[in-house]
Parts: sequence; structure tokens; C-alpha cells
Amino acid sequence: MTDQMVSRRTFVGAGAALAAAGALAGCNNDAQAPAGSAGSAPAASTDGDAVELQVFAANSLEKAMPEVQALYTEQTGTTFADTQFRGSGDLVEQMTAGAQVDVLITASAGTMDDAEEGELVDPDTRVDMFVNDLVIVAATDSDIQINSLEDVAAVEGQIAIGEPGAVPAGKYANQSLASVGLYSDESGENGTYDASIADRVNAAQSVGNAAQYVSTGECSIGFVYTSDVYRYDGLKVVYTVPAEAHSAIVYPGAVASTSENPDVAQDFITFCMENSDALAIWSQYGFELSE
Amino acid sequence: MSPRDATSTTYPIKGGARQASPFVLRMLVVLACLLFCLAAPPRAWAEGAGGEQAVADSAVDDEAGFGLNGFVRNNAGTARAARGEDLGYRIPLAEGSTLVLVNTPDEVLVYIDADAADAAGFSPDSGSDVEALRALVEELDETHSRGGALLSGEDKPWYVTTDPEVDRGAYRYRFCVEAAGGRYTSVVPAGLAEGEDAGDVAESLGIDLGDGVLWSDNAAFVPASDVAREAVPSLIDQAREFFGGIDYRPFWVSLKTSVIALVFTFVLGLVAAWKTMGTSSRLKGVLDSIFTIPMVLPPTVCGFLLMLFFGQSTSIGRWLIAHGIDIVFTWPAAVVSAIVVSFPLMYRTALGAFEALDPAMLDAARTLGWSETRIFRTLMLPLAWPSIAAGTVLAFARAMGEFGCTLFFAGNYAGVTQTIPIAIYFQWMGGSSAVALFWVVVVIVFSFLVILFINLYTGHSQAYRHRGLTRAERKQLAAGTRRRGADGAPGEGAPSGDGLEEQGGDALVIDREALRELLLGDAGAGSGGSAGDGSSKGGR
Repeated sequence: MTDQMVSRRTFVGAGAALAAAGALAGCNNDAQAPAGSAGSAPAASTDGDAVELQVFAANSLEKAMPEVQALYTEQTGTTFADTQFRGSGDLVEQMTAGAQVDVLITASAGTMDDAEEGELVDPDTRVDMFVNDLVIVAATDSDIQINSLEDVAAVEGQIAIGEPGAVPAGKYANQSLASVGLYSDESGENGTYDASIADRVNAAQSVGNAAQYVSTGECSIGFVYTSDVYRYDGLKVVYTVPAEAHSAIVYPGAVASTSENPDVAQDFITFCMENSDALAIWSQYGFELSE
Repeated sequence: MSPRDATSTTYPIKGGARQASPFVLRMLVVLACLLFCLAAPPRAWAEGAGGEQAVADSAVDDEAGFGLNGFVRNNAGTARAARGEDLGYRIPLAEGSTLVLVNTPDEVLVYIDADAADAAGFSPDSGSDVEALRALVEELDETHSRGGALLSGEDKPWYVTTDPEVDRGAYRYRFCVEAAGGRYTSVVPAGLAEGEDAGDVAESLGIDLGDGVLWSDNAAFVPASDVAREAVPSLIDQAREFFGGIDYRPFWVSLKTSVIALVFTFVLGLVAAWKTMGTSSRLKGVLDSIFTIPMVLPPTVCGFLLMLFFGQSTSIGRWLIAHGIDIVFTWPAAVVSAIVVSFPLMYRTALGAFEALDPAMLDAARTLGWSETRIFRTLMLPLAWPSIAAGTVLAFARAMGEFGCTLFFAGNYAGVTQTIPIAIYFQWMGGSSAVALFWVVVVIVFSFLVILFINLYTGHSQAYRHRGLTRAERKQLAAGTRRRGADGAPGEGAPSGDGLEEQGGDALVIDREALRELLLGDAGAGSGGSAGDGSSKGGR
């Protein structure tokens, strides 16, 4: 009979543990409920003040953008649905698949061109928002020396490069490698790597992944933006790729053609570029506003 | 006699549960400690509780008598005109900043507002003051570097000034420009005449103004007494901060998604298994393949197919969207993904359990005129229940763990479709390893509880096998136990199974195990054989 009791007690114990875990999480859930209870993602309402914007932004903006959005919410009351930070190519694919979007910011002119061709954004609203530099990073404690792009072939270990179809940083990296003959296609997208590095290139699905691969030591070097150094720990710049080696790195922004609040969306883009407090945030995260 | 025997024979299973419970507790404690150690910042161990420290954006040197408040490090500026006014390459200044540091490629320029320097008793000519300032700035620059390069590692000359404007090489640094409704540090070409446009001159000289600055720090330079301070946070404060900073919505999204998916999976899986069982063998093969294929296919393929089916890119998808079924990248999509991937587990376990039932028994029920529905409800479900329950738990676990299909079809919207597995991946990829680790521990604990539950439940539900022995078998079992007990422990003469359990040697345990195996093995072989016959019969 005691045995029966013990087993029952264990049951009750397990149940209580589950309930406690639920209650613990519940405390915090309440606070975040307003943001979460927006229901389905494309929930941009049109009534007066309570506008919710859905922003699709290049992966490299993942840390800086939420702070600017918080600032915008504080000043205007406009809220934001969970912003998607993926490779720019993925974002355009996601929009093509039918995701509801108000503002699109990509990390290359090419991906924004694709969005324009697919009639996903309003071409009149397009504006170049940021400029960035392409750098080669290594772990902080690494002693890798790179003095030119040719040195990349001599580096031991894996090389993290964004998958060029989805990640503009990968495309810029491949263009740079093509300039020294390590990649076969000058446009940076449809070629193959030189045999000396081909089996060591780790294609990352976003520029952040490439940075994380280097930061955790899976790859010895990676091609990322200058600004990525400021959002991952344990990275240092070992080489800044000359701007001539790749097409200019600009971040175009535009209002999506499916936006239900194009005026608010446009206002947010202007805010990002003109507001001095927003500029302070971009500056801290190493983003340079385009001229 | 016989009730006690029944208890003694079920004892091993219950004993397992009793041993498991302190073990479970210990495991949970270990996991909690592990989480805490890994999540708590290492600083927590270096500094004890109690005392005061400068807040995160401040630093103080009490001996030198000054400190810094509201420290900001700007890693980039912009050459963009401020409200149409060309300020050259400008970097925003925080409100109230009286100290500006500009790290140039060759040297470190530090500007301190003359009034602020006087108020804090700082002299730019005093070597010790400059050294003290340098230590403060380097300390804050490091904590605000966000992983970028550090001032402290560089061996550059420091140039401390109270002049608001200096020319160094090709550049003129204006430390504190008030223009266009803001305060900026600006870099313009050296020798820029009044009224000339900085950008145009730089272009004509062929210099990039942005190259004159690697990065820039600014802060309010104040006497030591004005430095903002706070109590040194205790370990508990830090833990509270960490756990308070976590977004717990993935847990609720996961739970909500899997529970609702489970309801569908449970009903659909049972009905599919029941209906499949009654069909002809050829059709059954086809149905079986269709129902099982999501288990074999990679989840990304499921996601891709669902995307094609419901998305904008196919005519079916467009038709569905036109008729109000627009679920791509919404929460229902996450539920659909979870149903698709967990369904085969429910279906297969239910089908296996139904097929293992004795068909003669079902036929007997049919001869009594029972309807198929009644047979299903009152005969098949209760008899197959242990397997169905296990299948339910497996399906739930699978739904909780779903990643590829959900990410593909429902995306990663925090608080809407971001489940725990997706949160783990994106938190880690976003550099928040501590949060990713938190979720990993949550998942491990949760899985552990699920397995524990299955084990306890199976033990519980299998107990009938021992209680259900015939009287003759029980007698035989009791006699056997007594005889072996007498052989194994001569002199003790313990008459009951319970007494033997406490002092029985290895030999005794092996004997008991063998006996149980023999009994159960016979029963298992018997039912297995008849089930095999039944399924082949039913198939035709």
C-alpha cells in the first residue's frame, strides 16, 4: 500500500512542478501579452492612433533596429509587430510568399531591385538609408594576419561567407573574392569557389550566422559588415575589404506596396534618417547613414 | 495471502518509481545550478554583495576627484547633412556631454569643456590627472565597446585639450557644434573657410572625412561627488535581471500550439488508424503510406509542400487565399505544421495497438450485434489505451519539438509563431547564448518530465498484468517464491515475499526475474501469435 502512495505522490510532485513552471512563466507573460496578443502577424489596424507597423529589415540591423523602434513608439505611439531580421533575399522571398509588410529595408540594391520587380514595394518611396563596409573578422584571440584578399586562400580552417542568394554580405564577399580569382563569377552569385578554398567555405544563412560561426570558433575567418562587429562578442577586424573590390554597400529602404498605413511607414523611414536620437543609436551600433 | 502476493509481485515497478523520485529531484537541482552558473555574468563572482559602485554608464576616480556620467561610444557617424546643413562628418553627442574623445588613426584627441574641467579641478597639463582620466575612459570604452576594438590595446599618443576646435593633419575636429537642433562632434577639412561647404571641399581635396575618425566617445565630465552610483547588485538581483529580461512567450506559443495540435492529432490519428484497419489490403497500403509519409519526409519538405499548398505561388494557394484561408506566416500555420508532423506518430502507435488486439474478440462482439462504433469505443479504445497514451505523449513531444516545418511555413514571429526550438536557434544565432541555454535547459527538464510521466504511467497501467494472474498461477508463483526463499536464505525462514525482498541475494533476484520473464514471455508470445493470425485474416 505504501508503494501505491509513493507512486501517487511522485505523480502529484511532477504535476506540481509543471504547475509551478507554468506559474513562473505566467508572471512575465502578462507583461508581454500586449505585444504577443496581436494575434496573427499581419495585424496592422487602420484605426487612428493604434497603428502597428510590420518591418522587414536586413539581418545586420537586428540589434540596432529594435532600439530605434522603441524610440519611435515612445514618441509617436505607433507600435511594431515582431520585426523579421533575415537575409535580405529571404525577406523578399517571404514577402513574395504573401507575408504582410509595411517597411522593407534590405542590405543591397540588388535585393531591393528584386522587390521592385515583384511589385512588392513602392519604387517612389525607395531611399538609400545606410552605408556599410565589408570586413574580414576573426576571433579576438586569433593570430590570423590578412594583408590582402589573396591571403584568404592561405588561412587555415573554415571560412564563413553568407549564402549569396539570400545574404547580400555573401554576395559582396564573393565579388571581392572574384577580384582576386578565388571565385568564378564577378557578379558574386552564380559562380564556384577556387579549389584552394572551395571545401572550406561555410555558407551561412544570414550575415549574423557568419559572424556567430566565427565568434564561436567554428570558422577561423568570416566576411561580415563593420557593424556586425558591434553586435557579436569576441570578434575583431583583421582586414577591411577595399570598397573597389565589391559593389557599393547600401541599405535601401522602401514602403511595401501591401502596406495599409503607407504614410506611417514613410514617416518611420524618415524618422530613422532624420531624428538625432535615432542617429545616436545607429552611431553606437556602427551604422553610417547614407548621404 | 493473495493480496499480499499481488503487492509483492508488483513491487519492482513501484520500487523503481520510489527510487526515481529523489533522483529526479537531484537532477532538477543539478540542472538549475548549471543554468544559474552559466547564465550569471562572471562579474557576479568577482565582486561581493554590499558597497556602492558607479552605474553602468559612469566611472569614478575618488582620489583624483572626478568622474564620468552618461558615457556613450559612437562607432560611426554620418556625412549626411543635418536638416540641409552640411556639418561634414558628424557624430551625435549625448545630452550634457562635456567630454569628447575622438580616436583618430594616429592619436587620441580628448576635449574637455573648460568650465567642467574647472568645476572638477582637472588640469589638462597635469600628468597625473590625464593618467587618471585615461584609466577611466579606457575602462568605460571597454564596457561600451560592444565587441569592437579597444582604446586600451592601442599605444597612441593622447592629446588633451580644452579648445573646442583643433586642426590635426588634413582634418579639423570641431568637438562640440550646436546645429540643426542637436549637438555634434564634426570632422571637416583642415583650414575650412567660413561659409564653405565641408562636403564639397573634402571631395575636391579627395579626402574621406569619415576616415578621420575610427570611433568617438562622449560623456559628462563631473566632480567625483556628482557621479551616479548604485548599490553593488547582489547575485539575486543579477539573477532576477536575467530571468526578468527573458521573453517567455516562446513557452506559451509552444504549449498553445502543441496542445491544440494534439487535440487534432489525437482525434484524426485514432480515426485514421481505425478506418485504415477496416479497409482492403491494397487500399490500406496506400493509406498507410500517405499517413506515415510526414514522419519519413524531412520537416523542411513538409514545410515547403504546405507553403506551396497555401501560399501565393500556386493556383490552389491563391484560390484558398481568395476564399479566406490565408494562413502562411500566422499562428494557424504553426498549428498546421505541428499537426502534420505529429500525426504519423499518433496514427502508427494507434494502428499498431489496434492490430495487436485479438480479432476473435472483435468478431465475438460483432456476433452480439454491436455496431462498429460501439466496438471502437467500448472495446478497442480501452484495450489499446496504454499504447494510445504513449502515442499521445510522443505526438505531443514531436509537436513541441517541431522546427523545420514551422520555420518554413509559419516563420519566426516572436510571440506569435516563435516556438521554443525556433527561439533557441535564433537567440543563439543572434549572439544571446545565455538565453538560448535557458531554453535548452527548459526543454531538457520538460522532456525529462515527459519521459518520467510515460514510465510512471506505463508502470501503473501494466500492473494489471500481475494482478490479473489466475488463482492457479498465483498459487504456483507463491509456492515457487516460498521454496526459493527457503533455499536462498536458509535459517531465516522468512515466509513472505516482502520479507525476502529486504535480504534476498543476487541469486534470488535473478530467479525472480527469470520467473517473471517466463510468465510474461508466454503471455506475450501467445497474444503476438494470435494478433499475427488476426491481421492476416483481417487483411483478406
